[in-house]
Amino acid sequence: MTILWSGLALGAVYTLVAIGYNIVFVSSNTFNFAQAQLMMVGTFVAYTGLVTLKLPVLVVAVMATVTVMILAGLEEVIAVRPVKDHQNQLVTTLGVATLISGATQLIWGSEPLTVPFFGSNEPITLLGGRTYPVEIALLVLAIVLVVLLGQFSKRTVTGLALLGISEDREAAMLRGVNVRALALAAFAASGALAGFLGLFVGPKTFAVATLGSALAIKGFVALAIGGFGSLPGALVGGLTVGLVESYAALELGSEYSNIAVFVVLIVILMVRPAGLFGRVRERVV
Amino acid sequence: MQIWRSLRAVPSWIYPLALAVLVLFLPALGIDFALIRQVQLACILALVVSGLSLSLGYAGELALGQAAMYAAGAYTAGLMSIAGYTDIVLQLVAAGLVALAVGVVTGIPGLRLGSWSLAMTSFFLVLLVPDIIAVFGETTGGRGGLIGIEPATLFGHVLDPENNEFYLVIVVVTIAWFAVMRNLVVSRHGIAFRTLKQSPVLASSVGVSVFRMKLLGYAIGALPAGLAGALFANIDMFVTPEAFGFTFATAVLAACILGGAASVYGALIGAAIIQFGPNQASDFQEYALVFYGGFLIVGGVLLSGGLAKFGKAAMARLDRAAGLAGTRTPDPAADGPRPAMDLMEGRILVVDGISKAFGGNQALNNASLSAEPGQVTALIGPNGSGKTTMLNMICGFYKPDSGRILIGDNEVQGLSPDRVARVGVARTFQTPNIPEHITVLEAVASGRYSTDRVSMVATVLRLPSYRRVRAADLAEAQRALEMVGMSHLRDETATALPLGMRRLLEVARSVVAEPRVLLLDEVASGLDENEVERLADLIRDLRDAGATVVLVEHNFRLVLELANRIVVLAQGAVIADGSPAEIEQNPRVLSEYLGVSVEETGARTIADEEAALSTEVKS
Repeated sequence: MTILWSGLALGAVYTLVAIGYNIVFVSSNTFNFAQAQLMMVGTFVAYTGLVTLKLPVLVVAVMATVTVMILAGLEEVIAVRPVKDHQNQLVTTLGVATLISGATQLIWGSEPLTVPFFGSNEPITLLGGRTYPVEIALLVLAIVLVVLLGQFSKRTVTGLALLGISEDREAAMLRGVNVRALALAAFAASGALAGFLGLFVGPKTFAVATLGSALAIKGFVALAIGGFGSLPGALVGGLTVGLVESYAALELGSEYSNIAVFVVLIVILMVRPAGLFGRVRERVV
Repeated sequence: MQIWRSLRAVPSWIYPLALAVLVLFLPALGIDFALIRQVQLACILALVVSGLSLSLGYAGELALGQAAMYAAGAYTAGLMSIAGYTDIVLQLVAAGLVALAVGVVTGIPGLRLGSWSLAMTSFFLVLLVPDIIAVFGETTGGRGGLIGIEPATLFGHVLDPENNEFYLVIVVVTIAWFAVMRNLVVSRHGIAFRTLKQSPVLASSVGVSVFRMKLLGYAIGALPAGLAGALFANIDMFVTPEAFGFTFATAVLAACILGGAASVYGALIGAAIIQFGPNQASDFQEYALVFYGGFLIVGGVLLSGGLAKFGKAAMARLDRAAGLAGTRTPDPAADGPRPAMDLMEGRILVVDGISKAFGGNQALNNASLSAEPGQVTALIGPNGSGKTTMLNMICGFYKPDSGRILIGDNEVQGLSPDRVARVGVARTFQTPNIPEHITVLEAVASGRYSTDRVSMVATVLRLPSYRRVRAADLAEAQRALEMVGMSHLRDETATALPLGMRRLLEVARSVVAEPRVLLLDEVASGLDENEVERLADLIRDLRDAGATVVLVEHNFRLVLELANRIVVLAQGAVIADGSPAEIEQNPRVLSEYLGVSVEETGARTIADEEAALSTEVKS
């Protein structure tokens, strides 16, 4: 049960990354390679705020949210908006990811930093397994976000406009949707979310400069399993990856955890290329 | 300009070869050891970058897995050496094959989902390298590295590092690979790659299997990475997992973007700059990621096309100044009379009760038509009546919900578009779809990709079978261009032509494949009067030569003039089917087209109505 909790919590982290991918993907059809690196910056800012500067939690939360939101906004303006085709956007957002990884390494060093959870860092026993409050918080956050964002996209005008853009960008423009503003807003929102979540993710994963690429990949696998653009898919996919990784590490040894996830990814892509909740789009001439 | 003209008179491959020979003899010129080592490393990096160029620049797929293939090559060679197989040729072959296998195995799932999937799965592959090496820690030395590699040998002779003999091996392998790459890219396969990058839809409509071609680009790109790995393992005779990490993967990508992904020698330029620039600085490692990251952003935003693009632009300018380029103005008089057309084996096209719904929208409802060889069958109808959907179904871009489509005796519903194209269906597009950076002649010749097939091996080695097909490609393309009256434009950049010319080019591209069925989708729109006249003559010639022509067209007078038979679609259903005379008088067609009942219009026909409209517009 202990391993189940820890696997699920890890999965929740991947789900949160995948949600970030989805927000940007739905609103601007861009795959933001740097999403996980943004979240990583969130964990570092949380460390600086909570440990180095010893600031109150609320201040740190605002600090992390705003910092990463600005970073994500800058990314959209500098590296995404001027680039027209999606293949090149992949290159530039990968550039942003690499740049952030390198910069965090220069600023915070390459040793893992322990980020304390503002709730409690004492282990608790739940359903016969040992877990930490932060792990439960991560799970709850992932589920709540999936439900809330799902409702947001169905119930609000902005949400519907976003779905409209993902369906047909030009048609949305002609309907008076400000596509550019919404794309920037989506980047900023996903950045703000990533920054805020840094306070929860950091205590689980440590703040470390290699976190970005690991999270980026696992978040992508979560998306691929669940299907691009699907929020429930991100949840199911993320939790699956977390569990596979944890159990493979336990049963086979830590060097097998990534390999096991890779095998799952390959199998999913071969059997169901559109993912569990994805739909296959008909090709259009 | 005289100098430039004589420089250009020499075949262009002489220059890189001359440079390569110079590099080969660098040690004899007494260059010091440090520089020699940098040249070696630059050659190795260039090999890896070149593999990425093939995938990113030609097949249009971002892949980061070259670092993993490089690792596979290095470990293969290292382990062989430890096991006693020190012959470098043997190691190169084995390393190349292992890397190729890694490319195929990881490329298939990555390409299944399309778009970013290959980028991500190949990125994952790079992260897995240390884990896989750790799993086989007993043989690979794990994180500590692989030691005990013996000096490489060539046919039993030990290659002396002091004598720079291994340097020669590296340079020769690099030259050989770039020759292979150049021969592959400057061929019909290279054009097929560019077509694919431009538009998968276009590629499959000329019979290129999108999946197979992308996989080929990615997997063949693994080959030089494997070779580079084998060479690398033998330089220091020591291999650690750190050499193949994420930093290396981004360096490769940065070099590729810098040099220009869609060019052969861009990889060399990019690799040389990265190797002699940042990689040489000893305290660079700390800042490497920041530098590469910033570089990818700037490169992606500003430098699309890389340094190679500036080089090509400069050459084109000098060519023009030296009067080597053809005239840019279209000059129909420059073309002689149209050549007679060969007989074409048209097949009967039968569409039998096709239905197709997109969600709740019934685009086609039990629609049937047939088109005979030696006849022009026109498909008309108001906007949104399902004409283009019908063409897309025939081409295999959509799968029908029910019904059958036959080309001669072949049932083609459910086949993929590239297979339908190989059965003999050729088409033009409403919006002309032409790959960038190729000449008019090449663009037309690309229509023959599935007509004659030549293996990539034959292409790389320039075997007689390749030369024969190449000659046929060019001759047929030239003839097709003469038919549409554009042969004087053969060396122009295809995408730079005006709209009307691009439409005629598309017609030439679809005719050159000698199709069984020819689908023309609104070819006359945007053409001037002379061009419409030329197009009409061409369609008549095609009809008389026995082709099966299906014409989707809004220009009703052109339709009346050309069609033997007209099929009218409205709201997804066939509402009339008959000779032009019948259709012109058909009351339902009148009401669909003019929105009025017959009583109101009296005895007027659609042609009258159009004539009235055009006088109104003119006055």
